[in-house]
This record gives sequence, C-alpha cells and structure tokens, in this order.
Amino acid sequence: MSYQHASDFGNLKEATIGFAHFVREKGLNIGIRETQEALMAADFGLIESYDTFLYALKSIFCSTEEEGVQFEEWFAQFWGQRKGAIKSRLTIKNQSNIQKKSPGSLVWMGMGDSREDGEEEGKNVSGANKMERLRKTDFSKVAHMDSELLEQLAMQLWKQMSLRMKRKMKLATSQGRIDLRRTIRTSISKGGNPIPLKRKKRVPSRQRLVILLDVSGSMDKYSFFLLRFIWSLRAHFEQIEAFIFSTNIVRITDFLDRKDLEHTLGLLTSSVHNWSSGTQIGECLKTFNEAYAKQVLSGRSTTIILSDGLDTGDPELLAVELAKIRRRTRRLIWLNPLKGMQGYEPTAKGMSAALPELHVFQSAHNLDSLLELEKYLSYV
Amino acid sequence: MNFTLKDTNSIIEGFDGLGYVVDDELATILFLMMKLEKPLLLEGNPGVGKTEVANMLSQLLEVPLIRLQCYEGLDVHSAVYEWNYQKQLLSIKIQEKSDKSETEKEEHIFGEEFLLKRPLLKAITSSVAPVLLIDEIDRADEEFEAFLLELLSAFQISIPEMGTVKAENRPWVILTSNRTRELSDALKRRCLYHWVNFPDLEKEIRIVQKHLPHIDHSLAKRIVSFVQKIRERKLDKTPGIAETLDWANGLLALGASDLDNEKVIQSLGCLLKSTNDIERVKKEGIEPIMEEIEAR
Repeated sequence: MSYQHASDFGNLKEATIGFAHFVREKGLNIGIRETQEALMAADFGLIESYDTFLYALKSIFCSTEEEGVQFEEWFAQFWGQRKGAIKSRLTIKNQSNIQKKSPGSLVWMGMGDSREDGEEEGKNVSGANKMERLRKTDFSKVAHMDSELLEQLAMQLWKQMSLRMKRKMKLATSQGRIDLRRTIRTSISKGGNPIPLKRKKRVPSRQRLVILLDVSGSMDKYSFFLLRFIWSLRAHFEQIEAFIFSTNIVRITDFLDRKDLEHTLGLLTSSVHNWSSGTQIGECLKTFNEAYAKQVLSGRSTTIILSDGLDTGDPELLAVELAKIRRRTRRLIWLNPLKGMQGYEPTAKGMSAALPELHVFQSAHNLDSLLELEKYLSYV
Repeated sequence: MNFTLKDTNSIIEGFDGLGYVVDDELATILFLMMKLEKPLLLEGNPGVGKTEVANMLSQLLEVPLIRLQCYEGLDVHSAVYEWNYQKQLLSIKIQEKSDKSETEKEEHIFGEEFLLKRPLLKAITSSVAPVLLIDEIDRADEEFEAFLLELLSAFQISIPEMGTVKAENRPWVILTSNRTRELSDALKRRCLYHWVNFPDLEKEIRIVQKHLPHIDHSLAKRIVSFVQKIRERKLDKTPGIAETLDWANGLLALGASDLDNEKVIQSLGCLLKSTNDIERVKKEGIEPIMEEIEAR
C-alpha cells in the first residue's frame, strides 16, 4: 500500500504519517521516533503554514544538505502547491469518493503516478543491492551512468576504511605519558608515598605510504579510479608519496596536496605528459630507486605498486629493482587489476619476474578488492 | 525572563530586538528545538554564522553560553571532567597519619571538591538550563562522538568514582560542523538538522545594516552584491559574513561612499584571507563583477 499525495488521507495525523512512509520509501532513514516528532511539530502549530511545516519536517527527517534539497521536492510532490494552508489539501472523508473522481484530483493522481515511475528508477539505483553489486563490479566494466555513484560510494568506503585503520593503531601501542588518574588511585593504598607511576598510551604516528601507479595505455580503464583511491588515502596517512609511471616516472605528491580532487586531476592531466603510453616498469623503478628511494623509503613505509605488469622492458631489471625496494621498505605490495579476471595467471614476463620479490600480490579491479587492503595498511 | 516561546514569530521578533536577523526557516527550527527539547545540528561552510546562532540563543533566553571547542584528540578529560590531581596528592599526604580506612580516604579524595568541571559537566550541573555549544564537532575523533551520544540522549554523565550525574535542567544543545567529515548516523538521528547557507542578498544587506547602522543603503547593497558574486568563484577560502562586515567596515574607514575598482583592490585583503585568492581575483579581474553590479 502506498500513498502518493496528501489528498489520499482523511486527516492531518494520517497524512503526516503517510508522508513519513512516503519519504521513507524514497530512501530517507527515518524511524518511528521521527514520525512521532513530526506529529508533535504539527501539534505545536507549525502546520499552519506551508513553509514552517516544510522547515520543521526537513529538520527532523533530513541529515545532510543533499537530502534537504531533495526533501523539498518530495514535500511539494506530496503536499502540493506552495500556497494556502496545509489542511486544505486533505480530502474530507465523506466526500472522498466524489472528490477522487473530479478531474482536478484525477490530474493530480496521474501526475503523481508518472512522477513515481521516474522516481522508482532513481530509488532502485540507490538501493542496497545496487551498491553491493557496484562494489564487486570490475572498474573497466562500470557503465558510464554508474561511475558517479561508484565514485561516491568509493569515497565513503575509503573514508571508513582509513578511520578504522586509525582506530586500530590507537589500540595497538603501549607506553607513554603518565596517567595521573591511575597513579593517584594506586598511591592511596601507600599513603601517597612512594608514588608508583602509571603510564598511558600515546597515539603513534601514522605510517608512511609510498604508491607507484602505472598509467600506461593498458591501465587506462583503471588508473582513473586508482588515482582517486590514492587521493582519498592521502588524508589519512601522515606521509604519503605518490608517483605515476609509464615510460618514465613522475612524482605527483605535490599535486595531491590539494583539498579539491577535481583541481588535482586537472593539474595532473595538464602537467603530466606520459598518460596512456607504453610501459617500462623496470626502467621506471630504476629511476625511482636512484632519484627518490633514499628520501621516501624507510623502515616504516609500505610500498604499493599498482600495475597490470604488462611490461615492454627488461623483466630481469624489474626483478633487480624490486628487490632493492623490498629491502628498503616494510612491506611491498603489488596490486594488479588483471588478477580479478577469472583464470588469470601471472604469466606475463614482467609479472612472473616480479612475483618472488613481493610480500603481497593482490587484485585491484573493484572496490571490494581495494578495501581489502586495509589489513595490510594497518598495524596488525 | 522576558522571552516567552509562543510561536516562530515570537522568535523572529525576539532576535530582531537583540539586533539579529533570522529567517523563517531557522526560527521554525529553533522553535521546534525548544519544544521537542532536542539538540540542533548546524552544518554549513565556514563563515555562515553557525556559532553565532548559539550566541544569539543564549542572549535571547538570557542564560549563560557554555562552549566546547572540539579538536582532534579532544578527550573526556578536557571535555567533561578531570580530577584535581595536585589537590588529591596533597590530601593523601595530609591524611597519611589519620586513622581513616582506605575506603574512606578514597571516598574523600574523589569527592566533589576535587572535581574540575569541564564544559559538558558544567552544562549538565548548571542551575539554569544554559545553551551548550559544541563547536566544530567534525574535528573531534569518532570516540568522542560516541561519547556524546550518551550525553545527548540521556543528559547524564557517569563518573566511575562518583556515580551518575543527571541533568537537573536540560541544556539547549547546539552542535556545529563544517562537514570536513561525515558525522555518524546515530549522532545525527539524535539531533534536528539544519544546513546553513550563505544568506541571500536581502538578508545579508540587513545584517550589514544591523551591524553598521550608518552605512548608506546603496553602498551596503553594492558591497553585498560584490561579495555574493565573489562567492560564486572558486576560491580557497570563500568569504563569510564576518568578512563582509570587515570589508564594509574597512571601506567606511577609507571614507568610501561608493564602490570603485581602485578601492576594491585596495581593500581586498579584508575580504579575501589568502594570498592565492587575492592574486587569483586580481588576475581574473574584478571588472566583470563591477559591471554586473552597475547594471542592477
């Protein structure tokens, strides 16, 4: 049973409850308490004018700016035009049969229905099933339509992931400042002398992360998302160093240091010229080792290479350079989008040469696989 | 107390009497907040006057404002309470020779006189219901947010050594967030929500006139139009209402009776608080904006 318009109801109370159902179906997260509060708001006299009722319900039902904007539309859809009192929108019970047949309300009903169709689609798109599926969809196969949604979802999940990581780290260490509270507690029994010092833990500094992203032609479909992934990690690591490579390697750390992702991407595309060209991983890593490794790699850094391993360079050089990196870093992780494909074997020359040097070899073709990284990025 | 809560109009009038400009939406929500006795969460860009709402409310209700500024690493000790350790240590020393039992000693040094009340505990134990402003909650850690949940739903704080302290008078709670991170759903559901936008032209002009009663109406209008135009540009730091006021003040100090290119450039530092922004605006030129204002 679903009602689409205030005129489906006989009294204000029912209509308000109906409206709560209506917006819940649209995807707002509201429970019984919110509905009760909406009824109370109506009781306080806020229902007298269209605007105050809208404002009141908005503040009760919504919890983000975006929801607020949509809510105004839904509100108008349900309660009708922005003039006159709210009460006039209801169908008086004993007249309801006649009124429903009148052309005026027929038009309304018709409109309600057609709008609903459109909305229905919209709702499905944001439903939980869709989200679940998107998380598992290969980046290269995401329809253009969904890419924005995926991006939102990704940002949200990555944020959660980094937060979880932060929390884990906090729990992980001992030692630190003196805990006066516990110190005093224990010193009572000794009459205050001597005072055994109790300590409390400190939040350790976050670890350093070095990321090397392959932006060669074969990675085109992935590098866009992976770059965003890097950008979102940036906020949660004290130090993050990022490089992109194809035929040569470029340090992009400074570009990441921007609040605004679009700006970062814009700057990157205008100042980096080796997008979508061939790949020479070994050469690039050699340059990396010579020019940057001493600065950016340390015992507490984790190094991530994001590449499909389709290499036109010398595989032996790759193995040698990887070994060098491995020695300087805490953990060396290679993420390969192709690994997500069924039946993939790391037989490409480059990849098979690299394998023995890696601590972790993982897929990176969809959101879920990137989220799995959490276990490697947090202290265990 | 002069103010009585009748309807939303009484709120608007009350604020007007204090020299504040409030729109219908915010007035409705404040009305609802006081009726439902629920906390209010204000989100919006920096500089739109979120903190000011709490200020206004405390003046309107003539109750004290208790403010808790959040920051990363804020913990229970600086937000709720802390024991006065020095005093406790001394007291232990003094009691050394007394024949009180250990439990009695312990009870003594964890009594109320050894308790340092921080903003949240202060707000709860206050004899009149104060306005409690929890500013920039998005800066605090998740853990602290979780702690706030207990406070905001039950209005009680448990202190292990003393027991639970329950609010005699429920404070009016206002939380603000710049939305640098998403707050938890649980917290949001305990609050009324209001997204604060930059004021529209008319409202901002009224704000400027309230603060600077001597300003000429057409000058105020042009200043505000200019600011509103500049907000549409992509800047590192979008100027807020405070900046508009600063700038209007600055222009008055320069003796400006009208807005011209030269004066705007001279005083741009009042409005834009980052070198990047100033340079960007200078480079892009202010002429198009000036022309547009002229055309109105």
